[in-house]
Amino acid sequence: MIPAIPQPDPLALPAPAWLLWALLMLTFFLHLIPMNLVLGGSIVGAIARVRGRRGDRPQDAELAHLIVKAMPILISATVTLGVAALLFLQVLYGRVFFASAIVMGWWWLSVIGLLILTYYAAYLLAFREASLGTAETFLAWLVAAVAGLIALIYGNNMTMMLKPNELVARYAAGGGGVQLNLLDPTLFPRHLHMVLGAIAVSGLAVAVAGIVRRKQDAAFAQWAVRCGAFYCGLATSINIFAGLWWLAALPRDVLLQFMGHDMTAISMLLAGILLTMTGAGLLVMAATGRRPEVAVTGSAAALMAGIVMMLLTRDTVRRVSLDLAGFETVNWVAPQWGPIAIFGALLVGAVATILWMTRALATSR
Amino acid sequence: MNYPVWDIPASGLLIAFIANVHVFVSHFAVGGGLYLVLTERRARRDGDGPLLAFVRGLSRFFILLTLVFGAITGVGIWFTIGLVHPAATSSLINTFVWGWAVEWTFFAVEIAAAMVYYYGWDRLPARTHMAVGWIYVASAWLSLAAINGILTYMLTPGAWITTRGFWDGILNDTYWPALAARTFVAVGLAGLYAIWVAAWLQDPDLKAQVARDAAWRWVLPMAVAIPLSLVWYLGAAARAGVPVAEIFGARDAGVPALVSAVFGPALTTGYPVAQRAAWWVVVTAAALTALTLQLVLKRSHSYGKPMAAVLMILGLAAMGGSEWVREDLRKPWVLGQYMFVNAVRVPPSEATPQPPPDFVTRFGADRFTVDAINSSGVLKASAWVRPVPDDLLAPADYPARAEHQGRELFRSLCSACHTTDGYLAIRPLVRGKSPETLSGVIARLAAPVDAAGAAVAWNTPHVQLKTWRNRRMPPFVGTDEERQLLAAYLALLGGASPSALIPPSPSSDVGKACFEANCAACHGPEGLAPFDHKGHKPAELYEMIGRLPAINEMMPAFEGSNEQRKALSEYLVSLPRPAPKGGAK
Repeated sequence: MIPAIPQPDPLALPAPAWLLWALLMLTFFLHLIPMNLVLGGSIVGAIARVRGRRGDRPQDAELAHLIVKAMPILISATVTLGVAALLFLQVLYGRVFFASAIVMGWWWLSVIGLLILTYYAAYLLAFREASLGTAETFLAWLVAAVAGLIALIYGNNMTMMLKPNELVARYAAGGGGVQLNLLDPTLFPRHLHMVLGAIAVSGLAVAVAGIVRRKQDAAFAQWAVRCGAFYCGLATSINIFAGLWWLAALPRDVLLQFMGHDMTAISMLLAGILLTMTGAGLLVMAATGRRPEVAVTGSAAALMAGIVMMLLTRDTVRRVSLDLAGFETVNWVAPQWGPIAIFGALLVGAVATILWMTRALATSR
Repeated sequence: MNYPVWDIPASGLLIAFIANVHVFVSHFAVGGGLYLVLTERRARRDGDGPLLAFVRGLSRFFILLTLVFGAITGVGIWFTIGLVHPAATSSLINTFVWGWAVEWTFFAVEIAAAMVYYYGWDRLPARTHMAVGWIYVASAWLSLAAINGILTYMLTPGAWITTRGFWDGILNDTYWPALAARTFVAVGLAGLYAIWVAAWLQDPDLKAQVARDAAWRWVLPMAVAIPLSLVWYLGAAARAGVPVAEIFGARDAGVPALVSAVFGPALTTGYPVAQRAAWWVVVTAAALTALTLQLVLKRSHSYGKPMAAVLMILGLAAMGGSEWVREDLRKPWVLGQYMFVNAVRVPPSEATPQPPPDFVTRFGADRFTVDAINSSGVLKASAWVRPVPDDLLAPADYPARAEHQGRELFRSLCSACHTTDGYLAIRPLVRGKSPETLSGVIARLAAPVDAAGAAVAWNTPHVQLKTWRNRRMPPFVGTDEERQLLAAYLALLGGASPSALIPPSPSSDVGKACFEANCAACHGPEGLAPFDHKGHKPAELYEMIGRLPAINEMMPAFEGSNEQRKALSEYLVSLPRPAPKGGAK
């Protein structure tokens, strides 16, 4: 019997697995923030645009305008940070990732075309917003729909790669690369959970935008905090059920890890739930309280910490699923410390340079 | 084999398509940044408002093209190579993850700087704006320099073959010439794009100013620098063991010989695709240079969008052709001297770092080297090969079984390059050939040799290839039975009747069997040179068979026994003489 999981390359891992894992988690977390703002923000922005077109809701129109201006930058940040996460994912899990991507080859490759489409649509909105007429609403929804579709395609690959033993039969049925993982019971609750989470994070971002502009436009600031709290609170409330649906849809052996077999996994999941609910609650308090900036800051901290916990929970699902499928980490390591050190130094330099440039832009109005 | 094969025709063309449009934009992303900063500096220094406005407009076009199309198609190449060459991509990532990580830091700064540069036109002081522009230029070029190491490694891996060292792979023999060539291409493309954008200008004087500057300072100097750097590159590649002369069918790797081969009569040896691609590069680059000269000397005020579009198309064609030649120089390797295009590896040499025992215990010995697959067979090494249906196992079902298993072997071993009827179609190549003939050809597609051409083992460091008619094919890997199954499948594609396929067995006619296996591919009735004994006696032919390479260097030495040689010479005189050219007369 030939193992379904491809054999590792006869090459040493170029860094300790823990370092690659840590960088995967870090870059994926950094990717998640703009990605959530693109996915959730495009939905919030499209709704605001529809409401703002009525004429009697200038704050909605202003919010739609802000989101449209930010969207190309957010897409750029999503792609740039996503590239790094994908790189480290491929080092650690390339054997199942590539096999899964091939089975859904055309879908996977379509991400590139969809990204170009949504990116140009976002730029068209940003540059020609005033002159587009009714097309602006269409484009706003197009960006949201395509972002959601890309997320679904990613979800397909990320769930299909967890079942390497099914891939051989799938491939035998057709190797043309047109299959998806639509019958996986975790796919849609997972997707719903991600989209709702993105809306909640975007709600937080709307509130933060209000706080940042509170000195220039107090009325908008107050409205934006309320609007953000509404989106964040509503999405988080529904997400409790979506999360439970996802949990219940997990394979039994994976689910058991969260039901008493693995205390770390349970702790991370519970901490994630508590932190995100705290974050949403603080944002709702900010909408009614006297010092909204304090509550919004607390909400942001709680939601970011909640995202970290959820990210680690998601990683646990992947690790346990692959363990059960027989996936083993490569145990031949020859760290390339010289290039690792150069990367570390350049990373610090890149962050400093980007901060200097963005600060120069922000302070030179 | 270790991974599923994405079952689409000509998957390599998909990479070529995405890569060609990407490099045409990504090199502009490098040179264009330099053009923006230097032209902005000049416009500010000279107080040239119209020129400054042009640079500003160009910067908008620049970010829309490079940040969106350029950046995303770059990710697209990565997606595509993972789908088409997963084993090679995995090897590259394992070896150079830190190279890519370093490149990513430059890429992140490049993207941020481009955005700040564009959004900063009205908000940043001129000095800061220029500084951001220079940050962009530096990060974009460094990103190119990092990726160039990985790209050139794929052709000339250098000492990495034995050391597996990161720097040995990155700073390989063709690193510097390729970096020079790519830098010059980036600069030339910047001028070309400036001419293109200037074609939209309403002010004829400004248009002429931009076009002349772009042509004289950016495009035309590179028309000299790029060919020189490519000569340096080809020489470095040849010295590193890439059979440049053989691929182009030239006497040697010198420029006169290469040009003569590329523009000479059609060749029957070497790699025709590379020869045609090189012809294409020279012709389109010459046309591009001539048209740029004409534009700048006679039509700088009046040239329009059509002329600018033709220049851009010529630039894309020349660049695409160059990348195609680079890819073809590497064939049949996907990673030079390490992995063939069909993901089969050469075994590591004794000097190469070996996996520790606990790795082998956990994952087993490497199943995908030439030697391992020759021993186990393809069909037993790969989980992705569709098994033979039970109802095809009876001896009477051999034709159907051969078709099924042959197709699986074709998919695993050949489909990385060949399609059935489309690009590099296999059907015309096998038309009318018998399974025995095809089996003989397949057996000698490639053999390992050293730099002097002497036969060596596959695990010899920096192994070279002696390929059938210098066609740059990988060796067949698999068992003898699998070779015969593949040959039977190809014979079916070529029009053989299924009823004519019988399981191979030792032939009673030794001479005929030797002819089919060793000679018929070229000297059969449908071959390039149908055999004519010209009245020679068996003893004379026996003697000639003993010195085939001396008679024609394209003929391999006969490797059979003396009895087989004698039987072959007797069979040869029994063959009817071919009709003279021109008909029955």
